[in-house]
Amino acid sequence: MPDSAVPLLALAGVTKRFGGVTALDGVDFDLRAGEIHALVGENGAGKSTLIKVLGGIHIPEAGRIWFQGRPAAIRSVADANRYGIRIIHQELSLAPNLTVAENIYLGREPHRAGWLLRGRMYHEARRLVRSLRLDEIADVEARVGDLSVAHQQLVEIARALSCQARVLVLDEPTSALSEAEAEVLFSALDRLRVQGVGIIYISHRLEEVLRLADRITVLRDGRCIGTQAAGAVDQRELVRWMVGRDIVEHYPRPKARPGDVALEVCDLWGPKTFGASFSVRYGEVLGLAGLVGSGRTELARLVFGIDPIRRGQVRVDGRPVALRSPADALRAGIVLVPEDRKRQGLVMVQSVAFNLALPWLELWIRGCWPDGERRQAIVQRAISGFGIRLADPEQGIGTLSGGNQQKVMVARWMEKPPRVLILDEPTRGIDVGAREEMFVLLGRLVQQGLAVVLISSDLSEVVHLAHRVALVRDGRILDILPAEGLALENVLARLTGAVSCESG
Amino acid sequence: MRVGKQLGPLLLAVVILEVVFRLGIPGLLRPNPDFWALDNQIGIAQQIAVNAIIAFGMTLTILIGGIDLSVGAVLALAGTTTVYLLGLWSVDPASPAWNAALGGWNPAVVRALAEGVKWAALAGAIAAGLATAVAFGAFNGLCAAKTRMPAFIITLGTMRIARGLAHRFNEGRPIRIPDCHDEFLALGNGRLWGVVPYSVLVMLAIFAFAAILLHRTRFGQHLYAMGGNREAARLTGIPLARNEIAVYVLCALLAGVAGLINVSQLYSAEPASGEGFELDAIAAAVVGGTSFTGGVGKMAGTLLGAVIIGILNKGLNQAGVHYSLQYVATGVVILAAVYLDVRRRR
Repeated sequence: MPDSAVPLLALAGVTKRFGGVTALDGVDFDLRAGEIHALVGENGAGKSTLIKVLGGIHIPEAGRIWFQGRPAAIRSVADANRYGIRIIHQELSLAPNLTVAENIYLGREPHRAGWLLRGRMYHEARRLVRSLRLDEIADVEARVGDLSVAHQQLVEIARALSCQARVLVLDEPTSALSEAEAEVLFSALDRLRVQGVGIIYISHRLEEVLRLADRITVLRDGRCIGTQAAGAVDQRELVRWMVGRDIVEHYPRPKARPGDVALEVCDLWGPKTFGASFSVRYGEVLGLAGLVGSGRTELARLVFGIDPIRRGQVRVDGRPVALRSPADALRAGIVLVPEDRKRQGLVMVQSVAFNLALPWLELWIRGCWPDGERRQAIVQRAISGFGIRLADPEQGIGTLSGGNQQKVMVARWMEKPPRVLILDEPTRGIDVGAREEMFVLLGRLVQQGLAVVLISSDLSEVVHLAHRVALVRDGRILDILPAEGLALENVLARLTGAVSCESG
Repeated sequence: MRVGKQLGPLLLAVVILEVVFRLGIPGLLRPNPDFWALDNQIGIAQQIAVNAIIAFGMTLTILIGGIDLSVGAVLALAGTTTVYLLGLWSVDPASPAWNAALGGWNPAVVRALAEGVKWAALAGAIAAGLATAVAFGAFNGLCAAKTRMPAFIITLGTMRIARGLAHRFNEGRPIRIPDCHDEFLALGNGRLWGVVPYSVLVMLAIFAFAAILLHRTRFGQHLYAMGGNREAARLTGIPLARNEIAVYVLCALLAGVAGLINVSQLYSAEPASGEGFELDAIAAAVVGGTSFTGGVGKMAGTLLGAVIIGILNKGLNQAGVHYSLQYVATGVVILAAVYLDVRRRR
């Protein structure tokens, strides 16, 4: 048994900079054997950077690391593996066509001179799974593709532990799990803790963190705010630590010009939406606030006709619309600007002009005859109207900055402005200056009378830009509150599942 | 074993086809009392040998998420290379030239010398033919592993190159195998103890080799991993490039072996032979349950796939069904097999 006084892993004063940005600023952290140590913080607080330092992906500029009391140098992924540090990422790296045992021993199959010792592989896998008490995956002959995501995670954990992992890092393991599935994972982690594995657990969901962890460390802006025993804090306190006091960022909230109701969503049910109702007026921004995986995007997909609506109704201008495809939504005047620019939004191999003119083919192609001048006019209006910075409209869209690509995504719909604009993560991956521009742009569109639904993982952005905020969790809308004067702590507390606070 | 679950439907299909062609379908297909005759069944095996051997290699490439369209052309190139060199290097042991040149020698020695030259020529020609195939496989594999070109395009290119090179020999006209090479001609046409064709024996031996390689070695396990999740395979340290090259080399080598059987069956090398063989091989693999997305497939499945297509062709042919309808029938079988497979996996 390791001496419990000496931590399994300890970090002191770890600092990591990227260019001018300090991602980690003198972070202290330690992990004991047989402990679940949770790491919490807002997006961009430095959690991922810290993990990558542990995993040997980033090398810190300053700071020291000890493994079992001895100084450790983690300069590569191989180093991290040698110290028995295993990171389990959100995207699992399993082969779905292979069995549990085959995945556990992937690349390290027992063999004699190249002959696969299949019997021994299954035997050892069974023994390993039994000794780890991961009974859920006791059928090591099951195909991994047939397992639930939670069980797949256990396979990945078993693989990590089969190569003598002492430190297991789980990055947002429950983000893709249902509540029942999460329970499976928690009970497995409980059993591993008893066996002396040190577990670093990263999650947004404070209630599960408080339930599961022995200690909790809060990161904010790359600094370690504090470490507490899980029994000594409550959710409100954690939220306060996470958000900090100084959250004054300047967002120019667009002046509301509420007109008639533009979009009405009544008790909408879909694959991952369980009865959502809301409405947006012309000249108003409704924010959908929720954690990653809370079902905001899925709700937007329903309203845009991508996923099948199981029940409920969508009305535009008071008239019900049948949404069987995005084409139906567009005809009804609903536009969705998706979150993933590269994969869902833009044709990356084509030019800026191509992307801008794409939605309006019927305006510039008459029969079989493209009208270059009309196309040119559409493209120019979008470029000048939205201040897209480029040398030549025919340059590749990939050569633009993220912010300008985002402007293209919005601008291309404004040739004939829609009634309702749904923006999914419009500021993801763009720099501060471009964000400001997006906000100004948003304000202008609202002034023009557009109804806007804004989805963002940045809570303060939602709370400060929207006029009303819908709190989304587990595919349901918990509440819709006026944004003016809404306390971030309260919102975060409710989204993470803290006590339901006074609704405004 | 789970194997039964995957191969069961294929075995069932084989049995059904055998029964249907024996008994016929009133009004559609006339019964064939001789369909189950041993000789008829062996004939089917002989007809599928070339396709099955190519399909075993094709299965490996599809399994890792690739494809090899060049096999038909590589088959032709390996065949023409071998037969061309055979013609160049062979001197008939029965030729009077031997006695003319070595008149004073002991006739037994002359005879042995002549036999030796014949066999050396055969070995050299076969080695050269197979080496040509391996070179193409290595090139395909290197390109697939080290460049970002898709396997489909790479092998589309090498298919045309190999076909063109095959036509360089003898102005694109067929080249006869020298009469003295009875043993080589037996490869495609002879039978062990007068019963089992040598080509079928070669096919079965290659099947055993490929099945063991795929299902009993670490290498085979790694191919499944690469086809299932290439990134996961990379992260666990599986040597992707080495394995990929090995797969394409094996595939081309098997096409080369099929090329030897092919020229032997035809008594000559035909530069235009093997056109479309790549598609027949793909058909056998997918009917046998190999998934085009990679990671799923079995050698026994591919063998049964080739058998099903073989029975179908033979049966329809003997029942006097017009060849045009044979095409239609195999097309329907391919679609039905893959449709059922996709539905079962969902």
